[in-house]
Amino acid sequence: MQAIIPLSLYIHLPWCVSKCPYCDFNSHGLKQALPEADYVAALIQDLEQDLPKIWGRRIDSIFFGGGTPSLFSAEGIDAILCAVRARLNVAPSIEITLEANPGTIEQQRFAGYRQAGVNRISLGIQSFNDAHLKTLGRIHGSKEALLAIETVRQAGFDNFNCDLMHALPQQSLAQALADLQQAIANKPPHISWYQLTLEPNTRFYQTPPTLPNEDLVADMQLQGRELLANHGYQQYEVSAYSQPNKYCRHNLNYWKFGDYLGIGAGAHSKLTCPNTGDIRRIAKVRHPKEYLNPEKNVIQKQDIIDKAQLPFEFMLNALRLKQSLTWQLLKERTGLVKQDLAPSLNKLKQLSLIEANDVTMTLTPRGHLFLDDVVAEFIST
Amino acid sequence: MTTLDHIRNFSIIAHIDHGKSTLSDRLIQYCGGLSDREMEEQVLDSMDIERERGITIKAQSVTLNYKANDGDTYQLNFIDTPGHVDFSYEVSRSLSACEGALLVVDAAQGVEAQTVAVCYTAIEQGLEVIPVLNKIDLPQSEPERVINEIEDIIGIEAHDAIHVSAKQGVGIPELLDMLVTKVPAPVGDVNEPLQALIIDSWFDSYLGVVSLVRVKHGVLKAREKIKIMSTGKFHEVTKIGIFTPKASDTDALKAGEVGFVVASIKDIDGAPVGDTITHAKHGAEEALPGFQKVEPKVYAGLFPIDSDDYEDFREALAKLKLNDAALFYEPESSEALGFGFRCGFLGMLHMEIVQERLEREYNLALITTAPTVVYEIELTKGEIIHIDNPTKLPPVVNIKEIREPIVIANILVPQDYVGNIIKLCVEKRGVQINMLYVGGQVSMSYELPMNEVVLDFFDRLKSVSRGYASLDYHFDRFQAAKLVKLDVLINGEKVDALALIVDRDYAMQRGRSLTENMKELIPRQMFDVAIQAAIGGQIISRQTVKALRKNVTAKCYGGDVSRKRKLLEKQKKGKKRMKQVGRVEIPQEAFLAVLKIDKDKS
Repeated sequence: MQAIIPLSLYIHLPWCVSKCPYCDFNSHGLKQALPEADYVAALIQDLEQDLPKIWGRRIDSIFFGGGTPSLFSAEGIDAILCAVRARLNVAPSIEITLEANPGTIEQQRFAGYRQAGVNRISLGIQSFNDAHLKTLGRIHGSKEALLAIETVRQAGFDNFNCDLMHALPQQSLAQALADLQQAIANKPPHISWYQLTLEPNTRFYQTPPTLPNEDLVADMQLQGRELLANHGYQQYEVSAYSQPNKYCRHNLNYWKFGDYLGIGAGAHSKLTCPNTGDIRRIAKVRHPKEYLNPEKNVIQKQDIIDKAQLPFEFMLNALRLKQSLTWQLLKERTGLVKQDLAPSLNKLKQLSLIEANDVTMTLTPRGHLFLDDVVAEFIST
Repeated sequence: MTTLDHIRNFSIIAHIDHGKSTLSDRLIQYCGGLSDREMEEQVLDSMDIERERGITIKAQSVTLNYKANDGDTYQLNFIDTPGHVDFSYEVSRSLSACEGALLVVDAAQGVEAQTVAVCYTAIEQGLEVIPVLNKIDLPQSEPERVINEIEDIIGIEAHDAIHVSAKQGVGIPELLDMLVTKVPAPVGDVNEPLQALIIDSWFDSYLGVVSLVRVKHGVLKAREKIKIMSTGKFHEVTKIGIFTPKASDTDALKAGEVGFVVASIKDIDGAPVGDTITHAKHGAEEALPGFQKVEPKVYAGLFPIDSDDYEDFREALAKLKLNDAALFYEPESSEALGFGFRCGFLGMLHMEIVQERLEREYNLALITTAPTVVYEIELTKGEIIHIDNPTKLPPVVNIKEIREPIVIANILVPQDYVGNIIKLCVEKRGVQINMLYVGGQVSMSYELPMNEVVLDFFDRLKSVSRGYASLDYHFDRFQAAKLVKLDVLINGEKVDALALIVDRDYAMQRGRSLTENMKELIPRQMFDVAIQAAIGGQIISRQTVKALRKNVTAKCYGGDVSRKRKLLEKQKKGKKRMKQVGRVEIPQEAFLAVLKIDKDKS
């Protein structure tokens, strides 16, 4: 009898006011009026087509990502959530997160989100430094960022996240830490602190800005982590820090290799077949125009993860977490046992990157620093 | 059927850039070898590498039919020759199939040293040399000066040299007429037993061994039984033909003619270059004189990065060796790099080309160690040995004397650059033995350590003379020298494949720049990497590649992990191009860091 694998729902809302030069997500600058009603209808149709794949399973978290979901009206979000509740078994204490851009905040709308059932907001602040915000192509300034935090609180959200980035063009160590300090001063329950990287198919990739060198980035990360820890923000994942018990449950499910259903343009799903144990990855068509075309099949691609790639796929996610991983989790999520990974484990132990016993595997402090090397060891060639 | 007196076999002797390829294209076009539409730029250079580098490595041939002024049609066999200093050996092979040669000189640049050397070879082999001035359309051309240079430096009559512009097609019919008039018809007897000289052989995956031959006596026909004289093996001819330049089958090749032979020879050593083909029955008694064996000048170790590739590597070398007699190889094993081959080359360009062909055509990932010349060592016991590998240098106590090879280098250069050349030769430990002003140029002779010449001298010479200086050199003698072995240690462990033999006076400086260069080439790893240079037991320099502080990116990934997966997979593949020595991953280029030292100085 298979253990029940937790299931999350991801909803992608693909539009932004304008596309940022570093962003490689499936987001599209808004050139005309937002086709909100059409998109909500398409989402519901998409969900209905997927229902047989998750029949009878409970949803533990919902995440509205983008794009900029806060471009949608409270009514639109409410319509989507109503449709979800009508069709799926939703956990009573479910976490429902919505991503918001500080440049698109208005209090009434946020109160509406709260009423619709959204109970967590993730604010894309990125920096409190106006010069850096400009370089990043953001539509907001530091003033709007601070106001956004205030608005979210007043709208009734006691649980929210601030997204920040570091290793920005021309950023000094002091500036990176100042951004964190500013965030900490506002006491968000959760801080996600990402490193800016140049990804293919972005404007930054084509004309790369000068980024801080490797050693400076290492200093930022080590000192930033310490600063956050000193203020009660515990690092529980590579880039996630939270006050006690304010983890992002939706993301935790990704990292623990749980299942998720993704609806919306370019959304990805990972679903385990309860009978065979096969793990299927599904991607929906990326472009909103295609997604909105009722003639078109929204599934762009689906395949079953090759058994040989499972150790890598699992580790790529699970090792991002600071807590030890248990062989029990590996078995539940992939059907693999410790012995299946023996050669890689031995090599990593020799390099003092991991420690392992019969119950758990733990990254050493060095292993955390060289996580990419550890994960690459599990690639089957 | 063409009779002997209507055949002309010729080569073109020319320096790189003097327009040989353009001229050959013009000749082919004029004789109708290819239609205008088929005429692709420079048809003769058929290997990719040749095209990219603009040089000719392997001999190729074209048979053309030319209707001369006297109304008769002549069969012209043009045998191409390589143009780089590394390949002068190949030239004499091509020349041995000819009765004449066109000496093509750039009317603006004048005579070049290598052309002189090749021209002497042609004269020694009894060829009729016809001087041709090319590029006379250029405003800076000086035909009178260049004619004087040809007469002064080479010593052949040049006043009736034909003026040609291959680019514009000027003088082509005159040139062809001159060729027919001046180049002697081949001597041979179709009634004698068959003797065909193998000028070149290469391996074709569909046909087996294909050989380019010059028939000296007799007639060779398709479906005849032949014997390869050195191996004594019999084969049946499946295909014979000529290049027009497209390969086209013929019924027979007879005395005086040049063409290709295919005889289902699957064994890659089946038809060695320089060998003689005769008939299985009523064959010739004696083989034709073959070619002088060529000695490699530079040796380097080649090792597959993936040890599983060793057998493929061996096979690839055997195939290359077939039509590259100058390539030498024998198994070598290194503590650091495992099993590979010690390979001998004519020079650095030859080495680069072989390595490139192995990587491109045979899909091998290889590490090449620093190239070295052969040293002569007199042991205290009186015995004399030659070593082609720094790791084979005996312990110092057993050595009475180390001798390094010295070459005589002949350099031709326009007067403006004489100062730069002298400076370069002094830096390379050269001793001047002669200097002459001829025409607009200066002819200089130097004694130089071969070690200095083969590594990067040619490139340096070109760069200090804006490409105008030209070079030819030959081995002269071994001479006692103060040489020491420079060891390289990575994290405290001696890496045999990185050892070098260097002049004692320059050892400190070399050790320093070597470690500095390696520091730039070895990527940062999870731990510090110490790079040390040592002589005897003494460390003379040290550099450290500082450890990476971290290798983890705090990046946001939602449900789509495919990009991260691809990135890590790509990085892992990149690592496979590096060789792990101890715990340290060393990229290919780091093993050749020594070559970079000298380049940096220029």
